[in-house]
Amino acid sequence: MRSVTLGHYLPGNSLLHRLDPRIKLLSLLILIIALFLVRTFTGFILFAVFILIVFFGSRLPWRYFLRGLRPILYIALFTLVLHFLFTKGGEVYWRLGVITVEEAGVYLGAFMTLRLVLLVITTLLVTLTTSPIAFADGIEFLLRPFRRLGIPGHEIAMMMTIALRFIPTLMEESDKIRKAQMARGADFETGNVFRRARSLVPLLVPLFVSAFRRADELAVAMEARCYRGGENRTKLRELRTSLLDYLGILTVAGVTIAIVLSGV
Amino acid sequence: MLIETRNLTHIYMPGTPFQVEALKEVSLGIERGEFVGIIGETGSGKSTLVQHFNGLLKPNSGEVLFEGQNLWRGDVDLKKLRSRVALLFQFPEYQLFEETVFKDVAFGPRNLGLEGDELEERVRYGLEMMELDYKTYKDRSPFNLSGGEKRRVAMAGILAMRPEVVILDEPTAGMDPAGRRHLMGQIERLHREENLTVILVTHNMEEVSRLAERLFVFSKGQLVLQGTPSVVFQSASLIREIGLDLPPLTDLLHRLKECGQNIRTDLFSLEETGREILQHYRRA
Repeated sequence: MRSVTLGHYLPGNSLLHRLDPRIKLLSLLILIIALFLVRTFTGFILFAVFILIVFFGSRLPWRYFLRGLRPILYIALFTLVLHFLFTKGGEVYWRLGVITVEEAGVYLGAFMTLRLVLLVITTLLVTLTTSPIAFADGIEFLLRPFRRLGIPGHEIAMMMTIALRFIPTLMEESDKIRKAQMARGADFETGNVFRRARSLVPLLVPLFVSAFRRADELAVAMEARCYRGGENRTKLRELRTSLLDYLGILTVAGVTIAIVLSGV
Repeated sequence: MLIETRNLTHIYMPGTPFQVEALKEVSLGIERGEFVGIIGETGSGKSTLVQHFNGLLKPNSGEVLFEGQNLWRGDVDLKKLRSRVALLFQFPEYQLFEETVFKDVAFGPRNLGLEGDELEERVRYGLEMMELDYKTYKDRSPFNLSGGEKRRVAMAGILAMRPEVVILDEPTAGMDPAGRRHLMGQIERLHREENLTVILVTHNMEEVSRLAERLFVFSKGQLVLQGTPSVVFQSASLIREIGLDLPPLTDLLHRLKECGQNIRTDLFSLEETGREILQHYRRA
């Protein structure tokens, strides 16, 4: 298994770990909105400082955290370069033939990249400190008001839980099948795009077969336990908000207001 | 020495909080034509070890050698190596993917560049070694076979590459006693008649004590014991301590000895054990 750290829950006992998942999700939502309202660099700095404080409060290992960020590095870099090259306006900073880098491009590029990176960092802070089950419970609760519109909150949450639960299993399985086919001389690494796509058949067919088999078995196991959706279902872990949670959401709200006001 | 490891250490997901040291400083050697068994409790590193033998895993430190050549130094053709050192994973029936048994068994040899008559001959050889009739099976879908048949087709796919070494990772897991006896019988015959080097990873002590010439015992990523079955199973207390069982008949002999009987404990087969017990009580 290679880097599967993106959003992989790390158990712990920090303040951030103990917060109610509903509060964390709500805070995440507020902070994301704030990120899109920020218009100035001062706003970003305020936001970054707040996130940094939260990060230290979470006691997550920074090395591990940075590794989780690696996949978006390329997207961020791509955004930056595109803006540098194609957004025009203002003073010309640099010129090479027809290629120019202008003020608006640098400004907007830096802006968008910062926004993207902060967005991922904030999300990671939540997913790394919230167990998948708590996460789904939080989603289910937050979707409750939409039930009248016909949105099945419980079912969505259950699907999420199951999907999350099976990601590591399927990763492991695909790793095993890949190795088994490599032991039979399969080659997944060389050749052009078409060759490589075709070489995936020995991997994908068994993977699909076993995914369907697992889904069948899970459905039977759930039926055997009389599962019939969310109605009248009680929970093993009742979500309870404490003083800490209220303080948390108040802090987030306060910081958000400060950030948004600073940027107006 | 055909396969050798020197101070082999393997760490999963190093540098993360999920880091696990699966193998610690393992040094061992396997000769050509041997039948060796690898035993140890679940998670002791057996499967990790055998995946180093054909270069599927790269050691974090230490060396793996095949015919004296370090796999990870110089330019060893790993694809070629894998056709000589074949590995059959646990529950190999889940690796089948083709439309017909023929195509699936042909996958390995075809990857070696074989075609036409030669390819067909290989497929025939593989299926026949597993006692699957070529004509009856070649056009059937591997997904419509019984569990035992699927497993034998997977095994045939490995044998069709004509390897010199086969590594079998718990080949009989989840099989019924008849199927198990059948499969092990075929493997034993291959070892005897084709001089195939066999490396058997298993939890079945009875099987391994009867078939293997030498045993390697693993516990928590370390090689704790090695030798012939009769030597290894003399260390009854160590074997039990690391969570393994003795072969049932050896266990019986050990228990009789623990009750104060002066009896031999280095036997495994029903005939020998029966004879020893009878003789012992006649003497007494």
